[in-house]
Amino acid sequence: MTEAPSARGREPSWLDGAELWVPELQAEPYDIRAIDPSPCTQACPAGINVKSYVSLIAESRFAEALEVVRESCPLPGICGRICHHPCEPACKRSEIDEPVAIRALKRFVADLELELPLPEPPPPPDKKDRVAIIGSGPAGLTAAYDLRLAGYPVTVHEAAPEPGGMLRYGIADYRLPVEVLDREIAVLARAGIEIQTDHRIGSGTELESLLDGCSAALFAVGAQRGRRLGLEGEDECCEVEDALSFLRRVNSGDHEPVTGRVLVIGGGSTAIEAARAALRLGAESVEIVYRRARAEMPADEEEKEIAEEEGIGLRLLSAPARLVIRDGGLEGLECLRVALGEPDASGRRRPNPIPGSEFVLAADRIFAAIGQEAVLDFLPEDVAARVAERGLIRVDPTTTMTALHGVFAAGDVVSGPSTVIDAIAAGHRAAAAMRHFLEDGRPLIEADSKGLAEAVEYEVPAAPPALAGRRRPVHSGIVSGREFDEVELAFTPEAAVAEAQRCMRCGPCSECLICAASCGRRHITLRSAGVEPGRQSERFAALLRAPARVAGSLDSRSGRAVARLLPAHDVEPGAGLEVELAPNRISIEEDYCRGCSRCIEVCAFEAIHLVDPKAAETAVRVEPALCRGCNLCVAVCPTDAAVPTTVAPGWWGTRLEDLYPPLLAFSSESPLVVFACQRRVESVRQALDRDRLEPPLAHLVPVRCAGQLDAGALLELYRHGAGGFVVAGCLSGSCRYGFGPQLAAEQLLRMRKLLAALGADPDCVAGDWAGEGDTDPFDLRVLGIAPDSSTAVRRPGRPGQGDQESCAS
Amino acid sequence: MRELANLRKETHAALCLACGKCSTMCPLSPSGWFSAARMVAIRDPESEIVREDGGQAHSLDACLTCGSCEVRCPEGVHFVDFVRGVRALAPAGQRRSCPHGEMLQSAARVMAGKKAPQRDFAWLENGQENDLEIAEEGEVALFVGCLPFYDILFGRELGLETVEIARAAIRILNHVGIRPVLLSEERCCGHDLLWNGEQEAFEALAGANAAAFEARGVRHIVTTCAECCRTWRLDYPEAAPDYQPKIQHMSEFMAEKIEAGEIQWRGEALGTMTFQDPCRLGRHLGVTDAPRRVLASFGDGTGESRLVEMGKVGVDAQCCGTSGFIHCDANSKRLQSERLRSAAATGADTLVTACPKCLIHFRCAQSEDRRRHRETPDLGVMDLTVLAAAALDRPAPLATETTTHLEGDAL
Ligand SMILES: Cc1cc2nc3c(=O)[nH]c(=O)nc-3n(C[C@H](O)[C@H](O)[C@H](O)COP(=O)(O)OP(=O)(O)OC[C@H]3O[C@@H](n4cnc5c(N)ncnc54)[C@H](O)[C@@H]3O)c2cc1C
Ligand code: SF4
Ligand code: SF4
Ligand code: SF4
Ligand code: SF4
Repeated sequence: MTEAPSARGREPSWLDGAELWVPELQAEPYDIRAIDPSPCTQACPAGINVKSYVSLIAESRFAEALEVVRESCPLPGICGRICHHPCEPACKRSEIDEPVAIRALKRFVADLELELPLPEPPPPPDKKDRVAIIGSGPAGLTAAYDLRLAGYPVTVHEAAPEPGGMLRYGIADYRLPVEVLDREIAVLARAGIEIQTDHRIGSGTELESLLDGCSAALFAVGAQRGRRLGLEGEDECCEVEDALSFLRRVNSGDHEPVTGRVLVIGGGSTAIEAARAALRLGAESVEIVYRRARAEMPADEEEKEIAEEEGIGLRLLSAPARLVIRDGGLEGLECLRVALGEPDASGRRRPNPIPGSEFVLAADRIFAAIGQEAVLDFLPEDVAARVAERGLIRVDPTTTMTALHGVFAAGDVVSGPSTVIDAIAAGHRAAAAMRHFLEDGRPLIEADSKGLAEAVEYEVPAAPPALAGRRRPVHSGIVSGREFDEVELAFTPEAAVAEAQRCMRCGPCSECLICAASCGRRHITLRSAGVEPGRQSERFAALLRAPARVAGSLDSRSGRAVARLLPAHDVEPGAGLEVELAPNRISIEEDYCRGCSRCIEVCAFEAIHLVDPKAAETAVRVEPALCRGCNLCVAVCPTDAAVPTTVAPGWWGTRLEDLYPPLLAFSSESPLVVFACQRRVESVRQALDRDRLEPPLAHLVPVRCAGQLDAGALLELYRHGAGGFVVAGCLSGSCRYGFGPQLAAEQLLRMRKLLAALGADPDCVAGDWAGEGDTDPFDLRVLGIAPDSSTAVRRPGRPGQGDQESCAS
Repeated sequence: MRELANLRKETHAALCLACGKCSTMCPLSPSGWFSAARMVAIRDPESEIVREDGGQAHSLDACLTCGSCEVRCPEGVHFVDFVRGVRALAPAGQRRSCPHGEMLQSAARVMAGKKAPQRDFAWLENGQENDLEIAEEGEVALFVGCLPFYDILFGRELGLETVEIARAAIRILNHVGIRPVLLSEERCCGHDLLWNGEQEAFEALAGANAAAFEARGVRHIVTTCAECCRTWRLDYPEAAPDYQPKIQHMSEFMAEKIEAGEIQWRGEALGTMTFQDPCRLGRHLGVTDAPRRVLASFGDGTGESRLVEMGKVGVDAQCCGTSGFIHCDANSKRLQSERLRSAAATGADTLVTACPKCLIHFRCAQSEDRRRHRETPDLGVMDLTVLAAAALDRPAPLATETTTHLEGDAL
């Protein structure tokens, strides 16, 4: 490769000095791993590729979107309803107006599947090592599914009569209908996971015999016991109960009415769940009593709002001090007012009861939701002594293995009461570790996206796409007689698409695939970290096919985007070679910009905006976070105000000076110049190789997009002796930059007219357009610019050749 | 740099007093360029030639070479020649910020090659019957210039057909009994390359054109373009001293013929018109009167065609924002918008130009504003020759044979 010609204001290309070209590296396939995660994906414990599925929804490609979700989350409909969505507070869109309604979008695509028949099961297990899992909550089910797909026979042991753990016995139907739960578990069971219900380990089947029958085991038993209040008389008084027991009854179908005034103590989702259930069962009034301020309640903000909307009172800054019991019957709860002090270990301010501030709340029922404990009675004492610590199970955080060799643990029983998505993430990690354990005896987890990701700060584009505010899913409210029906209604397809279009597609990797195309040796595929390589490259390819909305971006503040080059079969975390990608972006030279807006018209990514549309003279600004670097704007800018920042060596960068010198120093062969867009460059290269067309007969010039060529530059090449031009681009509709084919066709027409006006042969110019397909039809003979082994190409008249009529001078 | 020192002397740039009078005239001053040319002259011009990052200094590109600064200069500095000279000193192959992908420059460079172009005249037809008559050889020639190329570049985008200007010129020439010579081997006049600093290519073009026109027996060349006119009249004598035909801008030719009674108008109401003096025609060649005489004559019959003037006219006229397709930027846009507004402020409904480049630039500014839904004066922009051809009292029946009566005028 020749050196990149330096041009005005241009930074060195990302390929300069990159070891992509080192021959040893080319021996085996490599992956470019985008250190990509957008803020949403970074925030998601399970690393769901939010940007990807939201973008697909924006394209109305719902089935593919669901596939993306399923890649990292086996329970999409469940997460789509009750996930506490840490992605949404992280969403950059919230810095402009409100976050994208990510969770509701996930639910929308998950719902589409509900009516479909169950998917075909994968082939039967091909591995002999049996895996036993205790607990069928989200952690256990996720791990079971991953291991089953990896070919292991898996059995899940569940104490309760139905599988699902807290999804079934904690979370009530009006938030998570039992049909959704049943369906999603059925998908997993259909995949061949054996679930034995009513099968408590520790009574009947002892742990030891279970462990004897398998090669690896997972404890995913959750935290099943509600913590007691620790107030006098609590144990004797049947009107005081822990919320979890109450919910377990309700969710088992026991809808016995609740009467009178109800107090629920605690501030988490269990408290809110119990309060809403009590309300639905007929309570006269329901009030939540919480020690700290509203903002400090661990429950999700939306849950709090809904509870308030349903009429549940919040009594904040009140600490229960004493049960008021008369004649064995509950009369009320005495509380102390609380002043908030310095932040404690959890970062929340310490509640300090104010002495003498006692007051009494009348109550007929009290539900305590102040915490959960794991029930570890299935562990023989000597085992418990080794694996348990402070009521939970201790694991090595890098391997998720307990102190027992081959026994792993995940979910609430490790973390303490947490969330569904955390349990799913833990399930994935445990399954990955167990696979390594079973395959090579080392329970190592491949570095996941979190391990690779740098904490990248994203800048918010000043002019984001689709300015409309967030669409909210509608709530039905409580309907009498159908109190336990789901309250949150799904998006309509139109609302889902519109909402998804609000996504700004944050993230450093622009997914342009130029690295893969530049390599040209097919040794590089692109994937984002932590996902099966094959699938992910397909995904990127699919994304790239989406014409307009799936833009990637770069970290605009540091101006760099990063990806890491890793051997495809790498197992050692971080063992890869690092390649810095500085994707092409456009800078506008303001002095030159006349504000004509042509660039805005051709940018399919809404990346360019007039700085002040009303001003008389105005410049435009490019939003680096949205720009895909296609250079189409550069091609149409009449004043050369739009300048690309990066040109890969050997790639045409819209201007002559970006060409490698061979193109400007033609021999006397009057060669054919073939421009091929990045999608086709490989197959065109092969076609030319096949026909033995290489310099000086033919020059292949890769371009990002055929639309970036302009007639002026072609004419200049013609003047330097080019004998013919072929532009190989995409059919309109297949162009990943939208307007490429249209612009290319215009320039070719212009070039033909110019040649005709100069008295030269316009037929030395041809375009070759191909759609997205398996085989590239590129063939020069078909184009009529057939190569001729003796001379070069069909030679049109060209200056300096042939006709020797001389100038008078 | 010795050449630079000489250039300073020759163009009197060395005499600059830094009095600033030029800056009061330079249309770029309001944007902070003072006088772009003086910036080049008083700063270290060497550093102006090549910017550190390899690009061109903005002031060197940005100078419109309109010549406004020279009008008031007490020392007679030829800033315009100075800027042109400095541009020519830039290393070969260095790119200027030529707009439109340098397409027009490239076409000119191709024409500067040895092989003569073979232009066709399909455009004579205009889709209808071709009643225009041209000759292979003869006394009077029409220099068509780059019009067909403009149409390739701008035709669709601006809804323009600038070859209509050439058709109009032929119609008028036919009207007064002249069958003009049109050359298929005509090359670009070289104006844009010359002002872009490409001296060698310019000389090749000038030499080839001079030889070709001479070979066809041409002694009198008429052109509709102000820039071609300047180039033929002022720059060709230096590059091709052996061939010195009479050079006339169409406005001059028409003014003469009107006054000789050879052209009469139908007397149709053409409304209120105002006139844009092209820099090359007005300031560079001093031709400010002829186009006005033509415009004034339209009204002779009825009074329903009227010429009104903008504030700055003649040698004080404001440039259309770009010359020679060498540079276009935010200032160009501003100048165009301003000029369109002043034209509208006179109450005129047509802004008449005598240069296809002015026409393109004003139309471009208008179309950009419309595209952006911004207000733009509702003003027609028309070429003088086209306007005149449409106003002829009878459609061009060619007076029988002969160009002999021209002999008196020629040379
Ligand atoms: C009322 C309530 C509301 C919640 N709301 C939300 C919410 O809105 N969003 C959210 O993200 N999270 C919520 N959570 C938290 C979430 O449900 C849990 O964090 C999650 O279910 C933990 O998953 P897990 O697999 O670790 O354990 P679990 O879901 O608790 O599953 C453990 C399973 O193991 C079984 N088991 C235990 N011991 C044995 C044994 N010895 N033998 C056989 N089986 C055994 C249990 O029966 C149970 O089925 C809520 C929790 C509760 C209680
Ligand atoms: S805007 Fe889109 S990509 Fe960015 S954080 Fe929000 S959902 Fe994720
Ligand atoms: S047209 Fe292409 S290069 Fe230009 S701003 Fe849009 S995405 Fe970026
Ligand atoms: S195309 Fe060029 S001049 Fe026109 S608005 Fe865009 S950057 Fe400015
Ligand atoms: S020639 Fe025109 S643009 Fe250039 S400095 Fe003089 S007045 Fe200004």
